[in-house]
Amino acid sequence: MTRADRFLLLLVLCAMPFLYYHLWFSDGPANYLIIRSDSNAQVTETLRTNRMLHITGPLGESIVEIYNGRTRFVSSPCTRQVCIHSGWLSNTGGFSACLPNRISLTLVGQHPRFDAINF
Amino acid sequence: MTKQLTRLGCLLLVLAASACDQRKDPVFHDQFFAFGTLIEISLYGVEPQLADTLSKDIEKDFMNMHASWHAWQPSVLSSLNEHLSRHEAATVDPILLPLLREVGRLSQRSGGMFNPVIGRLVALWGFHDNPLPVGTLPDSTAIKDLIEQAPTVSDITIGDDLITTINPSVAYDLGGFAKGYAIDHAIDRLQASGIENAIINAGGDLRVIGQHGDRPWRIGIRHPRENGILASIEVSGDTSVFTSGDYERFFEVDDKRYHHIIDPHTGYPANSTTSVTVIHSDAATADAAATALFVAGPDQWLSTARNMGIRYVMLMDKQGTIHMNPAMQSRIHFEPGMDAQITLSTPLQ
Repeated sequence: MTRADRFLLLLVLCAMPFLYYHLWFSDGPANYLIIRSDSNAQVTETLRTNRMLHITGPLGESIVEIYNGRTRFVSSPCTRQVCIHSGWLSNTGGFSACLPNRISLTLVGQHPRFDAINF
Repeated sequence: MTKQLTRLGCLLLVLAASACDQRKDPVFHDQFFAFGTLIEISLYGVEPQLADTLSKDIEKDFMNMHASWHAWQPSVLSSLNEHLSRHEAATVDPILLPLLREVGRLSQRSGGMFNPVIGRLVALWGFHDNPLPVGTLPDSTAIKDLIEQAPTVSDITIGDDLITTINPSVAYDLGGFAKGYAIDHAIDRLQASGIENAIINAGGDLRVIGQHGDRPWRIGIRHPRENGILASIEVSGDTSVFTSGDYERFFEVDDKRYHHIIDPHTGYPANSTTSVTVIHSDAATADAAATALFVAGPDQWLSTARNMGIRYVMLMDKQGTIHMNPAMQSRIHFEPGMDAQITLSTPLQ
């Protein structure tokens, strides 16, 4: 076995798990957004319509943007702004939260594990 | 040797990449808002044009039912409630007749744990308002007055074309039933069109028929207190999975949670349960049963389930203990790391 053979074999073995996982198990684009807040019930929003959502938490109002099937925190009255810095979410299972303002975003869509979620 | 390895490498890559073809989703998905929640339709192996037509028809049905059955906006149901509150006989809309008969039957089987005529109590708590009340509780005297008037379905007589009551405090609120009934209607429509494999999911409460190709449908049950999944079940054939929880609609006053499932015996939110999951064949019964068992709580859920003919129940109480019957335990798979205490009941069958 030449050095080229070994290199090719290594390349194939490295690529196999990635391709297998990516093509069979990775989460696809999400269909809708579940917003949980401490002050109210959880809300489900479709990702089809671009809009801004105003959600009130114990610290004040957080603004969540839905744009082209993605979502993100645009503003929040927390000090560290971790939620803002987490950026856009677009895939199923994507999650972001403003813990000080007790608001979380979860994306749900093509479930690799489940066909539907009961709650 | 290099040639052989190259061939082997190419073969392996092609096999891995061939997964692309398998990823074509054989399930048609559509969603729309009705009954204040998101309705999702999943149809397996249905030609897209037919699937789209059926989905649009179901959406129209849901919208019509939502408009007709609204308890606090102008509707067929709110008009009926007005007549009943004035002690007047009301003409029964043919659309409502089977619904009211069924809801009455289920209420009686639940021993009144599920009471669809406490609309005034629900309104008093502000659960007919949007947004929900902030920082205020209803007047305790008003609650006491309504409880003393004890509105039940037994106070109502449904004739062929007239409905009357001996108790003007009754007011229909089909919140614990309408979604289930609408889901059953949607499944009937699908089956009449020859659809054999589908899920209708209304805000997390669902009914499935058939299966997902050569495997059962996989359903995740969300944890009532944490983000993520509590457990999962595999279902096929014709099965409804309904959950009632104190997290669905609530407000807080002085750090205490007041949720939307009102105990018809006390007039206050049922306070011993966090969530109840019911598996049953039809969705209307599952819907009513989930509400009834939530109210019944850890002490009375078993007898209530028996009376309602329910065979699979999982109830999480306020302490986080999970109560379930053995048949439910055999169907449900808890997520790894789920370390709640489980109390098994005697069999329900």
